[in-house]
Amino acid sequence: MLARAAGSSLAAHTGDFLHGILVTLEISSVGFLLALIAGTLLAIFRVSPLLPLRGFGTAYVEVFRNTPLLVLLLLMFFGLPEVGVTFGLLSSAILGLGFYEAAFVCEAVRSGINTVPPGQVEAARAIGLRHWQVLLEVVLPQALRAVVQPLGNLAIAAVLNSSLAAAIGNTDITGTANHVFADVVEPIPIYVGAGLTYLALSLVIGQLTGVLERRLVIVR
Amino acid sequence: MSSTVGSVERALFDTPGPRAIRRIRMASVVAAFCLLAILGAALVEFGRQGQLAGDQWALFTRPSIIRFLAKGLTSTLEAAAVAAVIAVPLALLAAFGRLSRRRWTRLPSAGYVEFLRAVPVLLLLYVFLLLLPRYGVNVGAFWMLVLPLALSNSAALAEIFRAGVLSMDRGQFEASLAIGLTETQAMRLLIVPQVLRRLAPALISQAIYLLKGTTLGYVVSYTELLHQAQTIGEYHNIFEHINGPLIQSYIVVLVVFVAINASLAKMARVVERRQVRRYGRGPVAGFTEDFMATDEATLHTH
Amino acid sequence: MTVTSTATRYRRFAAIGIAGALLTGGATACSSGGSSGGSPQPAGSGGVSPVQKVLDNAPVASAADMPAGSVAAQIKARGTLDVGGTDTSPLFSFKDPTTGTYSGFDALLGEMLAKYITGKPAVQHTQVTVATRETLLENHTVDVVIATYTITPKRAKLVSFAGPYFDDGQAILVRKNQTGIDKPQDLDGKTVVTETDSTAAADIKKFAPTAKVLLLDTNDECLQALEQRRADAYVLDQSIVGGDALQNPGKVKVVGSTFTVEPYGIGVPKDEPAFKAFVDNWLRKIYADGEWTALWKATIGAAIGGTPPTPPTIGSVSGS
Repeated sequence: MLARAAGSSLAAHTGDFLHGILVTLEISSVGFLLALIAGTLLAIFRVSPLLPLRGFGTAYVEVFRNTPLLVLLLLMFFGLPEVGVTFGLLSSAILGLGFYEAAFVCEAVRSGINTVPPGQVEAARAIGLRHWQVLLEVVLPQALRAVVQPLGNLAIAAVLNSSLAAAIGNTDITGTANHVFADVVEPIPIYVGAGLTYLALSLVIGQLTGVLERRLVIVR
Repeated sequence: MSSTVGSVERALFDTPGPRAIRRIRMASVVAAFCLLAILGAALVEFGRQGQLAGDQWALFTRPSIIRFLAKGLTSTLEAAAVAAVIAVPLALLAAFGRLSRRRWTRLPSAGYVEFLRAVPVLLLLYVFLLLLPRYGVNVGAFWMLVLPLALSNSAALAEIFRAGVLSMDRGQFEASLAIGLTETQAMRLLIVPQVLRRLAPALISQAIYLLKGTTLGYVVSYTELLHQAQTIGEYHNIFEHINGPLIQSYIVVLVVFVAINASLAKMARVVERRQVRRYGRGPVAGFTEDFMATDEATLHTH
Repeated sequence: MTVTSTATRYRRFAAIGIAGALLTGGATACSSGGSSGGSPQPAGSGGVSPVQKVLDNAPVASAADMPAGSVAAQIKARGTLDVGGTDTSPLFSFKDPTTGTYSGFDALLGEMLAKYITGKPAVQHTQVTVATRETLLENHTVDVVIATYTITPKRAKLVSFAGPYFDDGQAILVRKNQTGIDKPQDLDGKTVVTETDSTAAADIKKFAPTAKVLLLDTNDECLQALEQRRADAYVLDQSIVGGDALQNPGKVKVVGSTFTVEPYGIGVPKDEPAFKAFVDNWLRKIYADGEWTALWKATIGAAIGGTPPTPPTIGSVSGS
């Protein structure tokens, strides 16, 4: 039982690779969606008049932006079960990535908030809108439109960072490459193929961001 | 990461009246209570599972363990520093190549930057680990970590430099050509020094990404901080029958990284503020601030 | 990754209960400097630890075995043997983070080889992983890799193997209260965790085609995944999962017997056939004079008890 059948061919693993791409897409898209929601919420916290919320927002950003994603994923995967919360492979990766990227989304959205002319806020207040109305109805929509490009870059970062999900056992593109390499001794097509797949994903997201930005950008 | 509260934030906060102040106070108390309750519940649960037990943590006060971790930290800093030293010249080359008027330098530079920005560092690491040795290129664990980090970060840095140059006043460049400097001279004598100085905050925050990236050293068994922490966790699990010190090890690593990186970020903010004082909120200052808000977006590393 | 095996019988000896304690003491050995052989564990009556005794009795090569210009002669001139090993394999090669000393079967074997060549057990350790072993040999960063390195035809294309020097096999570790898993075929439809790029990663599917394989980087993470119910079983070399069962008798157990043969070899660069033959000859020597058996007793035997197995036959495995 010496080991592995050395004869397996790469072609036999086409299905695995497609599955790997799906897993990468799933982790990065759901993770990024989570980051968008959590990050926007954090940005709202950070411009809130409530000191505890501002403090929480700041602390969150400081911790999550300065921690290596890998450490975060390992804690998520192996740490949380010790306190009675167990997430699956995929959920751990999605949550870890989402919470990590949320810190960056928060800062992007906050810089977007600062591009909105203060006059608009003053006008909105003058016609009697409350603080939260000003924020949700006047400032945020414009802020998000102003940071389409940075958010697009963060989406690409999410795809690339999702490769670390392999470290906690996910069979994403990188993880699949490792699984297949355990079976077939052909590192060149395996890893070059994986690299090109990431490149293609980045290019597609970059294009989409460009289209979105042209549609949404507010020329001032 | 902007240090100054933006104008909109100020407008949003417009001086509240007496009723608004009361409401804000009440809501603050409620919010603080909720946050503390969540944090408290998490800690209680953590303690209930025995994770707060003294022997789980006392370990990390032993001098030998601290020395062991310090060795890992030194390796982490070393890898990041060497990667930076390699990345900066590469980045300058790529940035100016891409800004050049000549197609044959512009296209390869653009290709270099775009490709490296689109490939995960982890995958680059595998290239150095598994693929290159087939062609007789063997570099050892240290370089297997440092070179991919340097390459990937050089692409990100190149974009920072390029944006910095583009944000410079074109008049300076044109004036220097008018007084007879060549393009290269104008770049070297005039543009680069200014750009480098003004980009200092962005460059400092780049160091944060390099530091975080070194944790990938686990792939090539480079004994950086995370690797050392894992060894401690495993050792005590096996030989001292303490359950799960792995988690404590991870938390210690997390705290060390946050402490170092948050200080770097703070330093970047201080430098940034000084620049704004010195140069005013010029094009570069504004650029840097925006850039730093979303630096992850440009850098793509962990 | 991939570790060892010692023959079997872990469960039986786990019951003795003192095994864990013995592991800490008995298996400790082998500092990289080689002088002390790690924290000395006085062996009953004598003042010398069993590990030290093994080192003291280990043979030294004659000058005739190492002609001028040979790899062995170069190592002797350098004064230390560069060994690629692991830090985290309990019974085979484990580095105590507080003292920096190494213990275990592989670690001690490395020191014996160093003594054979240079006259003293001076070893320079380089940490290797499953993924880096071939590379470090190919680029001559290390002289040999002794790291529970299973001889496989795939690996033998890249490096040479002296040996085998130890026969291990894969075994199944499950949670204490688990029922219904006794043999590899029972793993069908279950989630099975193992280390990335271990031989088990490729083998599990052969026995249980519908098993779901989870790959993690270290033994500790795999064990944790099993305890946390992320996997139903953990498959790896008996010597690793057996060690895990010894350390956590209340939580996990080994079921069934080994279902593969994992012969461990000493990795040598492909371009040094004469050095491989030199190492093979040394192994034959320590098999014949009982030193190998003494080594087993001082390390694995001290931890799990039992009778020493017979050493495998040199060159008996394809790839060696």
